[in-house]
Amino acid sequence: MSSFSCENLEVRIADITVVRDLDLDLARGEFWGLLGPNGIGKTTLLKCLAGLTPPTAGRVLLESRDIAELPRKMLARHIGMLQQHTVYVFDSSVMQTALTGRHPHLSYWDREGPGDLRKADEALHTVDLDGFADRSVTELSGGEARRLAFAALLVQEPEIMLLDEPTNHLDLRHQVQIMGMIRDRTKHDGNSAFAALHDINLAARYCSHVLMLFGNGDWRAGRCEDMLSESSLEKLYRCPVEMIQGRDGARFYPAGD
Amino acid sequence: MMPTAHRRLLFLFLVMLSVASIAGAAATGSVTLNWNQWTTALTNPGSEYGELVWRLRIPRATAAWAVGALLSLSGCLMQVLLRNPLADPYILGVSGGASFAALLGMTLGVASAYLPALAWTGALVSILIVFSLARGDGPWSGTRLLLTGVVTASGWAALISLLLTLGPDSSLRGMLFWLIGDLSYASLPSWALATLALIFVICFGMARSLNVLAMGETTARLLGEPTQKLLWIVYLMASVLTATAVSIAGNIGFVGLIVPHLMRLIVGSDHRVLLPAAGLFGGLFLVLSDTLARTVLAPRQLPVGVVTALLGVPLFLLLLNKAKVRQ
Repeated sequence: MSSFSCENLEVRIADITVVRDLDLDLARGEFWGLLGPNGIGKTTLLKCLAGLTPPTAGRVLLESRDIAELPRKMLARHIGMLQQHTVYVFDSSVMQTALTGRHPHLSYWDREGPGDLRKADEALHTVDLDGFADRSVTELSGGEARRLAFAALLVQEPEIMLLDEPTNHLDLRHQVQIMGMIRDRTKHDGNSAFAALHDINLAARYCSHVLMLFGNGDWRAGRCEDMLSESSLEKLYRCPVEMIQGRDGARFYPAGD
Repeated sequence: MMPTAHRRLLFLFLVMLSVASIAGAAATGSVTLNWNQWTTALTNPGSEYGELVWRLRIPRATAAWAVGALLSLSGCLMQVLLRNPLADPYILGVSGGASFAALLGMTLGVASAYLPALAWTGALVSILIVFSLARGDGPWSGTRLLLTGVVTASGWAALISLLLTLGPDSSLRGMLFWLIGDLSYASLPSWALATLALIFVICFGMARSLNVLAMGETTARLLGEPTQKLLWIVYLMASVLTATAVSIAGNIGFVGLIVPHLMRLIVGSDHRVLLPAAGLFGGLFLVLSDTLARTVLAPRQLPVGVVTALLGVPLFLLLLNKAKVRQ
């Protein structure tokens, strides 16, 4: 099982410093929520962690090796990322798209075998896309496309899941379902996940830890129960926040003027 | 995905049709052979019509088949490379370079036997220009490649217009035929077939990577593809295919754009099926087009590029319309 961390990480995009001196250890079983206002650089940070863009300074480490030095194919077997948007230029079937998750596990001339097909079938079943296998991806609704992208990520079987707003476009039931699946994958199978989220309450309910980005490279990280409070969220979003105590923990909502 | 059994049947069908079309092309032309003449000529190259069939018609039909396959494969690769369904083999200026060199040769009175080599050199120059400029200081990207290629192609087009304006009237007709695409003088050099076979094997082996690349550079990288390397390999393969086709037959239009689309509509977008299907169908399509080009107004011969467009446009619109209705 892989350990994933970053060391003295500095990430910048254009004139914005997203994080400075970020040290983070994504231990097995942890589900991190990444919180911050629009345009603060959540996606940029995720891309850097996925090795898509190099950091300005510092390193991202997979099993204490710098990911910049690892071949992409090897990375893809350990780290998977759900992007914020998926755009399909060419038509393709739902099954074929789900099967792309097997790509890093197969070599040059290999074809997907029965085992791979089974994995894709199972993943489509878990995201409620049974019977969609032969449908065209261009005919899917926003929510269905989102669930398909998540299914492809499940099929990829990465130990570290990076997710950019995984609940975008999803209805309430599927939001809860997908967040629950991510939590179960981390809790029971010893994987870890790191998700940019806008819904504080989903973070509060499912995540074990949160990383907050305040702008100018300032950040704070820790366990959910230590991090999520009226004052920290008001500072984060610059918006008055009120806390109520729900049946299963604290919940937050924007307070009136 | 197409079931394996259907896929096998389709390929068998396309291979048989390809062979049949070449054999059929051998029987038709300014002298149309009847069944007996045709079978004797095919089995006995020394007979009365053997010479006509084996020295003229079959080489030309085979060249047509190879050019069709080259252009169709190149079209598939360009469309993935640029993630643009409107991309064709000529979009990045390869054919512009080839045409400029060939037309310059015609203007200077170079013997027609040397034109393919000249065209290939022109294509190579264009490939190298785009290849070195598209990168700039940053990483390779499809958008940058597209812009560099399209602008380079416009540059060649301007130079070609200049040659057409300044060139002697006597060579204008030859130039025009080259630009439309013509197989009258085509022969099939074995290196062209070898190029086709080699690149087909390589890109067929990479078919799964192409599927992933079609979903976007970022997605491809997240799924383990070193996209920088992949992009330039695909660019080089597509360019070499185009250069080979153009140096044999000039700028035959439409095949490289339409055949990949047609095949996508029929077999789907999995490149493991799409590449062989497009190659085979492209070959078949060009043999049929060229046979029509030789016979419709016989004894006059049309440049095959006219026929590909005249056949291709309605065929494509029809299929597109059908596909929409089905959805």
